[in-house]
Amino acid sequence: MKARNAHILVWAVAAVPPVLFLAMLDPAQMQSPGEILHAAGRLTGVAGLSLLLVAAIVSVRIPGFDRPFGGLTRLWRTHHLLGAWSLILLLLHPALLALAAADLSLSAAASTLLPPWSDLASWSGWLALVLMMGFLAPSFSFFGRPRYESWKRLHRLAGPAVALALLHNFWLSRGLPPWLDVALWSTLALLAVGAVAWRFVFSRRAGRLRYTVAEVRPVDNSVVELGLEPVGRALRHEAGNFVYLTLDDRELAAGRGEEHPYTLSSSPDEKRLRIAIKVLGDASRAVQFLRTGSRAHIEGPYGRFFLSPDRVERPELWVAGGIGVTPFLARMRHLAGRGESGNVCLVFCVQDPAREIFSDELRQLAERIEGFRLHTHYFYREGPLSMEYLASVCPDLGERDAYICGPRPLNELMRQHAAAAGIPASRIQSEEFELL
Amino acid sequence: MKQTVYTIFVAFWACVLTILALDALTPSAQAGPDQSEKTSYTLDEVAEHDRLDDCWMAIEGKVYDFTDYIDQHPTPPALLEPWCGTEATEGMRTKGYGRDHSERAWQMAEQYLIGSLAEGE
Repeated sequence: MKARNAHILVWAVAAVPPVLFLAMLDPAQMQSPGEILHAAGRLTGVAGLSLLLVAAIVSVRIPGFDRPFGGLTRLWRTHHLLGAWSLILLLLHPALLALAAADLSLSAAASTLLPPWSDLASWSGWLALVLMMGFLAPSFSFFGRPRYESWKRLHRLAGPAVALALLHNFWLSRGLPPWLDVALWSTLALLAVGAVAWRFVFSRRAGRLRYTVAEVRPVDNSVVELGLEPVGRALRHEAGNFVYLTLDDRELAAGRGEEHPYTLSSSPDEKRLRIAIKVLGDASRAVQFLRTGSRAHIEGPYGRFFLSPDRVERPELWVAGGIGVTPFLARMRHLAGRGESGNVCLVFCVQDPAREIFSDELRQLAERIEGFRLHTHYFYREGPLSMEYLASVCPDLGERDAYICGPRPLNELMRQHAAAAGIPASRIQSEEFELL
Repeated sequence: MKQTVYTIFVAFWACVLTILALDALTPSAQAGPDQSEKTSYTLDEVAEHDRLDDCWMAIEGKVYDFTDYIDQHPTPPALLEPWCGTEATEGMRTKGYGRDHSERAWQMAEQYLIGSLAEGE
């Protein structure tokens, strides 16, 4: 199944409850503007809850589950959009119901919004909505850019919010025949609970592999590359995959026991896992001083960046921005290790020569892989990556599969260039390392 | 997307606070019409109003005069006629096939409230 179809399927599942609700709606009860607003208010409630549950379901992090969706980051994008539309619809839900009641009287509208305390069904809905505003505020940067860990902690409020929203729905739902109502919502609720249970119970115990930090190699003054040795079973992965890394060094200044996503920079053929980490926050700064011999846990692998990670089947264009070079480094190590050749054009974008990480190794690898061309683009000298620059270093641009990994502005700019060069969207893959 | 969600978040609170503020600033809206005239009726008194052009119903201890509402009800008036002049809680709660009326319908009914059912009825 194509990734696009898999995402369409997710939206189609989320559309089932609202479509059934619309099909069962009695047109005779939609005569006045108030009645139409009332039906719209109920519809937004049904659709919002459905999107919320499906967002919870796709947040499951089972290694391999993300592959039909084109990788975990693309699945997250759908999760993020489902969450956004769910919040929008659930905000409209009480507002529309109150406006519908305003058709009767202003006090009816006000009492729809502030019902008596004994009306637990309505208050459970209110509480769910307030929790949603709380746990989604950082996801949509309501009050500035959030810190990764505090965002993650706050996002756990999704659990009680979903439970209260379901309670509210079971109490008040009347739009469908009772058996269908129970069957539909129970199925979605069970899948959502299963996804969350997997994440917080099973994957924590069975899904994590034990490793020891065998090497901490400074790459430059803001990047280290960790070498991790498996304690038991080793992770099987592809070049370009990423993992969740949890470090357990007691002397770590920040981030001990927290899980953070990182791309693997090692070839799948190596025994050790290698992970290059750049200082981006407190936890990644603390990693720069990690001690060898400490314990680590790895969960994964996730993502599906390269369509054919083991060989270069078609001419490829790679564009890396800064630390975004890691999936490309992994694949170069992999191709060179296997003696593969490849018609690849890598444009490595950095601010200035001082930030050109892995420069010596990249050059050596480029020489070892037949047909490989490496170009370094310096922002301070050449400005933003231009179409002219790309055409000068990689003349047959439109004939290549494009892979992009870097900060969001570079990804967006490069996607525009790739589209302008005539590369179809299905042959442009990008990976973002900014999750919010 | 972030801007859209934030805009709707702000619009939501603006809408909620406007409705609540307007309600708080409009005292008459809360008092409701003819509150002082409400009285209690026996089921016998309710039973005297058992026609579509004079239709009272007793529902959950309250008495309603639905005469002016009959024409607006979604179903044909003939379906309502048997309930006129009776204790009609069952009809209101089940619509005759096990489904409760909506919260909106219950709120709408309050407009036609004329009193309560006498104690012991």
